[in-house]
Amino acid sequence: MFISKNNILFKVPVIFMIIFFVLPLSLTVVWSVFERTMFWMEPGFTLFSYENFFFSARLENFVVSMLHSSVSVFCSFLIGFPIAIFIRRRVKKIAQHRVMLLFILPFMVSEIIRIFALRPILSRNGVLNDLLINFGFIDSPISAFVFTPTGVVIGEIVSFLPFMIFSTFLALEAIPNYIFEVCSDLGVNRRKMFADIYLPLAAPGLFAGSVFIFVNGIGIALIPTILGGPGSVNAGLIATQAIIALDFPLAMAVSAIMMCTLMGLLYIGHRLFNLTKLLEPIS
Amino acid sequence: MSLRDDFQPKWKLFLKWGWLSFAVFILMAPVFYTMYISFNELGFGAKYYVFTFQWYENVFSDKQLINALGWTMLLALITLPIVIPFGLLSAKLYKQSTKKVWIVFVLLSPLFVPADILGSALLVFFKNLNKFFTFISEYTGIYMFETWFDLGIMTAVIGLIVYTLPYVFVVVMITMARYRPEQTEAARDLGASAWRAFWEVEFPQIRAGVFSACAFVVILTFNEYTRTSLLKGGFDTFTSVLISQMLNTGMSEESYAMASIVSLVAIVIVSVILIVTAVRTEQLEKLTRVVKEPN
Repeated sequence: MFISKNNILFKVPVIFMIIFFVLPLSLTVVWSVFERTMFWMEPGFTLFSYENFFFSARLENFVVSMLHSSVSVFCSFLIGFPIAIFIRRRVKKIAQHRVMLLFILPFMVSEIIRIFALRPILSRNGVLNDLLINFGFIDSPISAFVFTPTGVVIGEIVSFLPFMIFSTFLALEAIPNYIFEVCSDLGVNRRKMFADIYLPLAAPGLFAGSVFIFVNGIGIALIPTILGGPGSVNAGLIATQAIIALDFPLAMAVSAIMMCTLMGLLYIGHRLFNLTKLLEPIS
Repeated sequence: MSLRDDFQPKWKLFLKWGWLSFAVFILMAPVFYTMYISFNELGFGAKYYVFTFQWYENVFSDKQLINALGWTMLLALITLPIVIPFGLLSAKLYKQSTKKVWIVFVLLSPLFVPADILGSALLVFFKNLNKFFTFISEYTGIYMFETWFDLGIMTAVIGLIVYTLPYVFVVVMITMARYRPEQTEAARDLGASAWRAFWEVEFPQIRAGVFSACAFVVILTFNEYTRTSLLKGGFDTFTSVLISQMLNTGMSEESYAMASIVSLVAIVIVSVILIVTAVRTEQLEKLTRVVKEPN
């Protein structure tokens, strides 16, 4: 029979992903303890690259980029969660998905273009400063928008905000309508509604969105390269620079640390909120 | 809709819609601004605005760029026929499976892994595989697979598949959610083979989703930079030309024009998909309404 549970054909994609996704990422842990040679690495056991990471400025950079990421997560939550709630509650059922798709549009334009174009917008003689001066909010242009941590945070929010909206909307979509009706019949006020209904029930989506933004904020090298200015480094940049310097064990150590962070966070989230709930509306 | 809504003032609703549109506008602002500058003869930061197509002409006469476009298209064309069946197969597997958590984990976690991390891990993986295969070929004297994992199209395509499969999986799952599996059962009861039941009953109903998945794969291939640039080996792709121009010579007017072209193509494709699906769902709804309540 063509469709049977044991048919190997159906498992091909999963096998492919195990070979070319799970395996390379798990092997980063092994490669990170290899010894560095001139152009490559050789089998061995040394914690030199971890030492190199944890006892240098890299650790500080890593922690600072975590901080920036957390700020981006928080800002995305503040901007995105109300939008997701609004779409779930106030937009007609048929139109909900179409409104969601509005947020796919920016996502489908290359991240590089969006981040690069932020430079002329945020720079000293850019559009934002022009607007602020023309409207009389400020007298002289603000140069803190770009080539500073602010620039990195703005870049992260602009790149990743849609993910926060998608994942929280998915979680909110799974909530049956009668819950809202009961609440409004019983006269629940706004704050209670937010704290006792939206927040706990959207928790899986919030968590998934936050992890995504947090990890990508640490891991995507382009944003600090383009918007961060001097001294702005995150884990992704450390890894790519280590590869350029042919220090493969160090790059692998950074990757391993990132993977452990990501998997740890996902595991905690799954234990707390059961992240597979997110896929229920579409399965 | 709850009762409370009817008593809410209109202006609050407008305010919320305003906030939503503002967010979309902010997300799109960089793109629009790129397009705006690309038509200015004097470029960014000029005092006056002179409309011109000159930069676009320059882009299309740029040999390196046309070459890169060709390579990118080739990558997309190789990736598509692999990743779309993969998406369909994995969605089917997910529906039948009892261990859904693991399938979701393997298929969706590439979304969470940052591009640079995945790219560097794959790069080292391929280099090691390469060394391993070279060793084997020297040992056994069979040189068939010696160059399989040399950095090149093969490795770039593998990177792209790992990157795009989660998106295809999600899009296919969303469209399959609307399909009622009883129809397959009916077809099977009437003696159709499983393949025929899929191809002639299920596939026509999920076709729209599969096409949009194809469009997404092409768009994502054109947008992708980090993984491809690490894994591609010798040739240039569209984004790598763009990035090298941007980083080496600063934003030239041509780069604005190039960026606008890609964004415009992506926006047009996505909009067409949106409009078509909107029209289709409306038609379907009318149809079901007629069936449910015949006058």
